Amino acid sequence: MTDTIVIGAGLSGLVSAIRLAQAGQSVTLLSKGLGGLQLSQGTVDVLGYASERVDRPFKTLAALIKTDPHHPYAAIGADQVKAGLSWLTQALPGLLTGDPERNLCFPTAVGALRPTCLYQPSMAGGAASGGRTWAIVGPRQLKDFYPELCAANIGRTPAPGGGAITARPYRIDLPARPGEADCSALTYARSLDQADFRAQFAQAVAAVVGDEEAIGLPAMLGLNGGDGLEAWRDLERRLGRPVFEIALAPPSVPGMRLNQALIALAKAAGVRLVLGSNVIGVISQGWQLQGVVLRQAGHDQRYDADHFIHAPGGFESGALHLDSYGQLSETVFGLPLRGGEADDLITGDYWQDQLLFKVGVGVDSAMRVLDEAGQVVYHNLHAAGGVLAGATRWSEKSGEGIALGSAMAATDAILKGQ
Amino acid sequence: MRKLSADVVVIGGGSTGAGVVRDLAMRGYRAILLDRADLAQGTSGRFHGLLHSGGRYVVADPGSGAECASENAIVTRIQAHAVERTGGLFIVGPEDDPGFGDKFLAGAAEAKMPVEEITPGQALALEPRIHPGLKRAFRVQDGTIDGWQIVWSAVASARQYGAQILPYTKVTAIERDGQSVKGVLAQDLKTGEELAIECGFLLNCAGPWAGQVAALAGCHPVEVVPGRGVMVAMSHRLVNMVVNRCAKPADGDIIVPDHTVCIIGTTDIKVDDPDHLEIPRREVQQLLDAGESLVPGFRQARAVHAWAGARPLIKDDRVASSDTRHMSRGMSIMDHQDRDGLSGMLTIGGGKFTTYRLMAEHIVDAMEDKLGSHHPCRTAQEACPGQEDAHNYQITHRLAERETDRLSDQTICECELLGRRQFVDLLTEFPHATLDDLRRQSRLGMGPCQGGFCSARAAGLAFAEGKIDIERATGLLRLFLANRWIGLWPILHGDQVRQTVLDDWILQGILDVDHLPAQTQEVV
Ligand SMILES: Cc1cc2nc3c(=O)[nH]c(=O)nc-3n(C[C@H](O)[C@H](O)[C@H](O)COP(=O)(O)OP(=O)(O)OC[C@H]3O[C@@H](n4cnc5c(N)ncnc54)[C@H](O)[C@@H]3O)c2cc1C
Ligand SMILES: Cc1cc2nc3c(=O)[nH]c(=O)nc-3n(C[C@H](O)[C@H](O)[C@H](O)COP(=O)(O)OP(=O)(O)OC[C@H]3O[C@@H](n4cnc5c(N)ncnc54)[C@H](O)[C@@H]3O)c2cc1C
Repeated sequence: MTDTIVIGAGLSGLVSAIRLAQAGQSVTLLSKGLGGLQLSQGTVDVLGYASERVDRPFKTLAALIKTDPHHPYAAIGADQVKAGLSWLTQALPGLLTGDPERNLCFPTAVGALRPTCLYQPSMAGGAASGGRTWAIVGPRQLKDFYPELCAANIGRTPAPGGGAITARPYRIDLPARPGEADCSALTYARSLDQADFRAQFAQAVAAVVGDEEAIGLPAMLGLNGGDGLEAWRDLERRLGRPVFEIALAPPSVPGMRLNQALIALAKAAGVRLVLGSNVIGVISQGWQLQGVVLRQAGHDQRYDADHFIHAPGGFESGALHLDSYGQLSETVFGLPLRGGEADDLITGDYWQDQLLFKVGVGVDSAMRVLDEAGQVVYHNLHAAGGVLAGATRWSEKSGEGIALGSAMAATDAILKGQ
Repeated sequence: MRKLSADVVVIGGGSTGAGVVRDLAMRGYRAILLDRADLAQGTSGRFHGLLHSGGRYVVADPGSGAECASENAIVTRIQAHAVERTGGLFIVGPEDDPGFGDKFLAGAAEAKMPVEEITPGQALALEPRIHPGLKRAFRVQDGTIDGWQIVWSAVASARQYGAQILPYTKVTAIERDGQSVKGVLAQDLKTGEELAIECGFLLNCAGPWAGQVAALAGCHPVEVVPGRGVMVAMSHRLVNMVVNRCAKPADGDIIVPDHTVCIIGTTDIKVDDPDHLEIPRREVQQLLDAGESLVPGFRQARAVHAWAGARPLIKDDRVASSDTRHMSRGMSIMDHQDRDGLSGMLTIGGGKFTTYRLMAEHIVDAMEDKLGSHHPCRTAQEACPGQEDAHNYQITHRLAERETDRLSDQTICECELLGRRQFVDLLTEFPHATLDDLRRQSRLGMGPCQGGFCSARAAGLAFAEGKIDIERATGLLRLFLANRWIGLWPILHGDQVRQTVLDDWILQGILDVDHLPAQTQEVV
């Protein structure tokens, strides 16, 4: 029996578990797999795009809440999102920087300028503004990064605030491990954590670049050191100018940095982590959830708690499911879903947001799950993160803001005994 | 305007046109083939992938069955690399009439089609996933073909004999000199250049578009009744042999293992416009149900892609025009001299991919009859380029390649095990290609991730190694993603939703491709 059970090890699950444990609760975190953080770009997005690119996320968020009452931010509220951002910034000292009130744009591997509000220090040098001159450098052995494509698209995209960036592509030829032509960002990160390889790498980069004021490299600059940024700091020192990381397709090294830091915090706070098993059943009495059943090797195990935070992710993690007959379901508790009624849930226009991906659970301001009639399903069940209905997170760039805000709202409700 | 001349112009680069141009060139004609799109991007790239044993036809039309049986053997030999000898089963399911099996055996005997009845237990040992309640089973020589590889190797052979092949060249007008065809006007859609081609004979092999092409020549309307068929590919091979239902042919009664997937098909609905073929959810449901009855659990497997093709049937007065399945599957040759008083032009309708070589032989014979000349057809004897080692296709070929170059080359498409060198070679060979053109060559983005990981790599390589500008490289990426979606959204359910959301997170969430600078020109 623990005070709270958290389901899901993504950003919202980890933050919820840590915050409750730090407040003195006993917390068990159950998760089927590792959360989405390690696939993400490792920034904290609040709102990057509404109809246009967003410069001031909280200003636009306030307007969004008014026009779209079904957006998760409407239930969460701006204050909880801000609280979540400041909680995370303090919990991970030195790993996140930026001004929550203002979005900056950072280049991605294909050379798009992507808005976000908090970012890692290793990305800071890539904040786009007119007049900059960048060297964009990548190793031939990394198939997810083409400096030519990245630089050319950066060069033809108007920088926020006007002007253009001059970006020049350079290639180096240095495998992360000798004799390998196909190295992932993670292999490079592990090699760059070794001083010898780092020296070689810095030398190779220095040999190709020109006099650009900063150097952009694929996001793979190491995982070691207290904050995971030891290799990046050393590379900057060796190269004698700002070095910045550019977001890549998974596996994501910056995402892993956030993940490893949060897992370490969770362990330090005494959170009991039970990873790699699926929740397969629930025990409840009326509006009270009592426990969940976990499928574990050899036997099924019951876990009981006073409170539950359900942070299992969305369709990508399998928490939401659309079967071959078109039936939608939430796969853990069978919770009522919102947004599945439309008949044009999926349309043929690839560039349009699909209504299907807005399907999820509806919640009140304490993040308690609501049924179709707007009634609380279980008094002690709160939902957070990707399972919430109402947003296409990847297109509006709001994933972390929603995860953090809902984690704060859910944990507040539990701690205040709501 | 560029001027060309030829003895014969072939319109349409599907299986029919490809077979015809090869045959023409081998008989010594100077031939030019034109297609408005990539080769085999019409019906021949929207079919089921089955190299018929003949089994499907032996009961209703043993003649057609016999043709399939002999052409199957020929194509397997002359284009070995494009054929996988999977073998096939006809199974009488628990609901089906076991008496049909006797008719099947009788028809097979009449068609001289090799067949062997095996016990249900033996069938289950071969294909453990098929319905365990089956009553009878017959083993036949069905195979599977890669339609694109067949067409390319046929045109490669034609080129060796001097033919010119012009994909992405649309015929815009047919010029006549009073009562005879004198040439065609066309446009290169990649460069915009206009072409005028003088010719003595014109073969209209435009499949479901044959009516439109005939109209260009001012002929009386040729009514083509496109019969739309939908197919759905599942993410892996639930069966390794072609599995047919041994009953009167119906919708969705064949599962074809093809490359890394297996394909259930197909439906048949009369439509008006072969350019806009819907994939209705109701037909997808019907196919999933049919799959379930052949292979229990089919619905739990993951559907990765769907497409629809149009049977190019020319209207035949003997049957009602709404029931295209019961029109003759045979081909028809329309002589415009008898019909419209126009000499020097034949229009071809109907047919099957399996018998494309034989069809071509008949068409070229018919043309030679009109011309009063005769040269022997040698297409069945001589092998096509591409199959030099005479090995048939094997599903494991890419794995074997990657095992040898695993350390020295990158795998740029993990689902289909496509190597970087292979892809870069294609970029060099086809400098004007779209990523979809390269996909048809290489299966890039055809596996479970449907481009989630490989599309940005492909665009990056095309720009880094190719001779295209950044606007085109970025445009190619966008076009590829939008085109993959054509065949994804109609079947999106189950684990493919999960994959799609992951892909969206990567491409839109992390890379923000949707906010790259918009292109100023349409990419072709
Ligand atoms: C759903 C379905 C499933 C099938 N499954 C099988 C099977 O498993 N096995 C089998 O053997 N057969 C199968 N068939 C039959 C087979 O696919 C067709 O008979 C064959 O592909 C027809 O080839 P084609 O060259 O005649 O037509 P197409 O492949 O359609 O070629 C016509 C070409 O003409 C071009 N064209 C049109 N207009 C112009 C213009 N103005 N200028 C230049 N070019 C033009 C088009 O772009 C197109 O490429 C199937 C058919 C369908 C519809
Ligand atoms: C035997 C076989 C096996 C296959 N296996 C797989 C597989 O394993 N995985 C997989 O993902 N896919 C598979 N496919 C499907 C394939 O990827 C394409 O979706 C399909 O072949 C349609 O052709 P396309 O390349 O033109 O692609 P599409 O993506 O459908 O279209 C590309 C272009 O064609 C144009 N177009 C659209 N409709 C038509 C039309 N009716 N006529 C002419 N042009 C049109 C579009 O405007 C677009 O420009 C298979 C297809 C076949 C025939």
